[in-house]
Amino acid sequence: MNTVFIKAATSLENSSIQKWKENGGKIVGYTCSFMPVELLSAADILPIRLRGINAHSMEISDSYYGPFVCSFPKAVIQLAGTGKYNFLDGVIISNGCDTLRRMNDCWRKMGEDIKGSLPSWLYYFDVPHKPDGHAFDWYVNQVKKLIATIEKQFDVRITEEKLNKAIKAQNDVRKMIWEIEKLRSETPLRITGTEAYSAIIAGTIMPVDEYKKHLNEFIIKIRKRKKDLAIDKKKIFLGGSICDDFELVSLIEKSNAVVVGENICFGIRNEKDMVCETEDPIKALATKYLSASVCPRMMGWYKERAAMIIERVRKINADGVIIQNIRFCDLHGSENGLLERDFEKNSIPSLRIEREYGPLTETGRLKMRVDAFIEQLKSTNK
Amino acid sequence: MRPELKEYNLDWLFASTFSVAKNLGNSSPGEMEYVFNYIPYVRPLLKPLLETGKPALTFLDLFGDYYTNIVNAKENGKKVVMTTFCFDPCIFYAVDNLLPVTLEIGTALTSLAWKRGTTDFMDYCTEIGFSETGCSSQRGAMGAYLAGLGAQIDLVALNMGGVCDTNANAYNFAAQYLDVPYYGLDYPSELTSDEAREYHHQDYRKLVHFIEEHTNCKFDIDQLREVLEEKRKQDDLMNEIEDMQRLVPNPVPGIYHIMIYAARYIYSGQKKFTKMLEEMVEIVAKNAKNGLSGLRNGVEKNRTFLVYIDNYSYGIALYEWFEKKGISHIGNILSRTFAETAPYTTGIPGTAYRIDTTNFDTMIDTLADINARMPMTRTIRGSYDAPNMWLDDTLSLAKIYGADCCIYLGTPGCRNTWSNIKLLARDLEALGYPTFIAYGDSFDSRVETWDTSEMRFEEFYNIRGLL
Amino acid sequence: MSIVAGFDVGSLSTKSVIIKNNKLVGSAIIKSGPKPVESANKVLQKLLDETGIAQTDIKSAVGTGYGREKIAFIEYAISEISCHAKGAQWFIPSARTIIDIGGQDCKVIKLDNEGNIKKFITNDKCASGTGRFLDVMAKVMNIDVSELGKLSQKSTKPISFASICTVWAQADVIKHINSRRPAEDICAGINVAMANRVAMLTNAIKVENDICMTGGVAKNQGVVKALSSILGCRIKKVKKADPQLIGAIGAALFAQEKL
Repeated sequence: MNTVFIKAATSLENSSIQKWKENGGKIVGYTCSFMPVELLSAADILPIRLRGINAHSMEISDSYYGPFVCSFPKAVIQLAGTGKYNFLDGVIISNGCDTLRRMNDCWRKMGEDIKGSLPSWLYYFDVPHKPDGHAFDWYVNQVKKLIATIEKQFDVRITEEKLNKAIKAQNDVRKMIWEIEKLRSETPLRITGTEAYSAIIAGTIMPVDEYKKHLNEFIIKIRKRKKDLAIDKKKIFLGGSICDDFELVSLIEKSNAVVVGENICFGIRNEKDMVCETEDPIKALATKYLSASVCPRMMGWYKERAAMIIERVRKINADGVIIQNIRFCDLHGSENGLLERDFEKNSIPSLRIEREYGPLTETGRLKMRVDAFIEQLKSTNK
Repeated sequence: MRPELKEYNLDWLFASTFSVAKNLGNSSPGEMEYVFNYIPYVRPLLKPLLETGKPALTFLDLFGDYYTNIVNAKENGKKVVMTTFCFDPCIFYAVDNLLPVTLEIGTALTSLAWKRGTTDFMDYCTEIGFSETGCSSQRGAMGAYLAGLGAQIDLVALNMGGVCDTNANAYNFAAQYLDVPYYGLDYPSELTSDEAREYHHQDYRKLVHFIEEHTNCKFDIDQLREVLEEKRKQDDLMNEIEDMQRLVPNPVPGIYHIMIYAARYIYSGQKKFTKMLEEMVEIVAKNAKNGLSGLRNGVEKNRTFLVYIDNYSYGIALYEWFEKKGISHIGNILSRTFAETAPYTTGIPGTAYRIDTTNFDTMIDTLADINARMPMTRTIRGSYDAPNMWLDDTLSLAKIYGADCCIYLGTPGCRNTWSNIKLLARDLEALGYPTFIAYGDSFDSRVETWDTSEMRFEEFYNIRGLL
Repeated sequence: MSIVAGFDVGSLSTKSVIIKNNKLVGSAIIKSGPKPVESANKVLQKLLDETGIAQTDIKSAVGTGYGREKIAFIEYAISEISCHAKGAQWFIPSARTIIDIGGQDCKVIKLDNEGNIKKFITNDKCASGTGRFLDVMAKVMNIDVSELGKLSQKSTKPISFASICTVWAQADVIKHINSRRPAEDICAGINVAMANRVAMLTNAIKVENDICMTGGVAKNQGVVKALSSILGCRIKKVKKADPQLIGAIGAALFAQEKL
């Protein structure tokens, strides 16, 4: 178990962030996988994906957000309200979904009430719900606007050279994550889902050079292992709503299972999931980031997403799929309904569960369902 | 789903009910009461409706036509496109072999006129995998269509991307479930910038191609012009009513709001809607001339602005309660068009639309602009406190129409508004408008029965001394 | 001679059974305390006292329910879903759909022709559709939850009321009580509201005959009848044992198999 990754994945203010700040570096948070992190790295700003982990109550959040909404952005607001995000020099909010985009409104209002809880720079990054044509052009334009704003706000110049450098560094990371994904599809299986997932999440809150170094060491260590960790265990593929808490993966793995892959908005889908390094960097970033393959917010692309997920499930020989959604997430909630139907058509056993985001408060309930699913897989001798 | 629900298609029920109901115009009051005995659940909708006189008969007539056409679509060689209420259907009526069916209207009507509302159909959606927490406005009628209890759907086209995830997602789900082509217009958070306008225009052109592709029909430019000119007439008539609504007492009967916006969403650009508006203008003008209130008992005690939608359970119970209490309903988010000729548009460039029927291009641009200013599509696309967004619009409209207080009514599925209603309500209160947040579901009385909702409204109005 | 035990530690009640040579020889049900281990110990003691069997005689024990893993004297922990499926089939071998409504959740289990679990679905929202809903409503009506079924038999006009949120449904029930609506109509309304929530879950999985119900709520005839009517299918009753014990029985059967 790699403690560096576990530590990074389980706490907001990890040592990398502290060190960065001590060296006078700027940190900007972002909400969603549709925001090209390379733009910030190219400005020598540390991009960190906003997390909601360790939010133990929602009373601050409840003053701004109403009921009937996803608990993930609520958790982020709660943390911000208690000062946990005071180290941020800025935040970029994109419209991953309605509830997430309203974080813009709620955070600013909270900033009026709780001094210091609102970062000095808050920017709204408007992502289209389609990946092509005029939507693609709109997105390219949004990227250009964001670059101009970052330059002005932080008094930096994001040159094409710097952008290319940032793209290369992030692609190196993507290649290493792909190595990890390949390890997860091998027999003997030498890496657990918990290890892999915590490694992937850690990358969203660590400076890229430091991350690359740790990833490299991690991969070398895994490759030296001999033991097959999948013996007597069922292989599970996990999909659905955002999950930046690897405890969910751990919970599944405690039920005699091993998680061999995810379709959650972290990590990469396949080896082609890179930014092209030979094209104009802005267009290349737009092509990779504005993709319909990840998220149900890209409406009208379900068939392509389902096909990709089914292909991945088959390639890694998963015994079953667990698809989860955070309560009130209509996007994943409904897409999971369609996926369940299509998994059945393709003879892939699946379990659909709904959960609350937060310190896994429903472990008993979730564990029972996962246990039952694994028992079901075992009894049908898959 | 209970077997008895599979006896009749939902749209057939509407077609037959409304087509027959319009004949009640020839009945004496005694005859009407006799008929009402046999339709105890439609009565709460029909009785107050018929009291409006001619506009009611035209309303029933146009709804009867609308649903009859949908029921007979296939037989008549027409395709049916499933769409949303905040999508102006003019474009569909400019194509010979296409008819729109709007889900939310179907859900509202079923909630208003049926004993159990649309709960069975809503539950059916959940049974087939749709998220139970999705907005109930789509889930009602959607359940019927997905269960095959309605006209066959040939394509899905709408405009809620970027504005309302749960809405766009519902239609997307329906399209996938039925395996039919889908096109969704997409909206950025900006409204008035040139870039946004350009984006709307390009997006809409792709919609036009989509329609042509899937109906094998080229747009008839003359037909489109005719439809848009009819819409212009309708805008002018609605503007007249809106203008007169500023008077104290308000001469517009509260029920006109739901009649106007319901008919507008399904029959924009069609002549019978124009006829209904003309009949309404005549009545409102008469009230205005005589200084009369639109309320039945004639005494206006309060003017309430609904910042979001109305309640559609138990036969327009909300309107009836307003009548009982002497509360003048001065509209909600669904009531406005934002035509540049409207009394509430400010002349700030980009906020309103202009109808330009010069050529095909200008007409498509017009339609794109109209759609970008439909309810929700305009008001809740960006930050609530951004210019021309929810707070701005609410304050302007509340001021223009002399609101004494504001009410928020919606559905638990509305992720968008529930994520910022507390902020809006806080600002409205600070600016002098007592604001009430209702926690019920406008389409599903299983969440909060009307009795309980009414109790809570009473409490609000009493405690805040609003009556 | 094999003597095995099964334990089902639930949120509202803890159940335990002893099976000897494939025959049910003893059972005990107690109200769950806050600590599952203590509840398990308590119910075990009660069972041993009643049957006169010594703990050392028990060759194997399996636990299920939320507290299952914490119980020291069991050998295996198996999910309630598997246990309910096993238990139900012991009484009704033809069962292909099992509806289990417990104190805290509601599950519908579908079996294939070999009795293996093909699919299951659970209530993931909240209290409505679970035993908790009935408990809360019974409390408001100031009756024991076991009377909800009996009282509702007399009703001819069930009242319909808010059913999506237990808390808001309470407000409605209180209102009807204050309006002096007949108790049987209110009870019937409560049962129908419950049945509707369960039906939605059940319909999502497409029931197959034979259908049976397990869990405490299966004892409420009002809910069973209403559900049967909504689904348009006959629901078979487990006659030879308290339906609340099915989970524990299934656990004991698993223990027997492991021997």
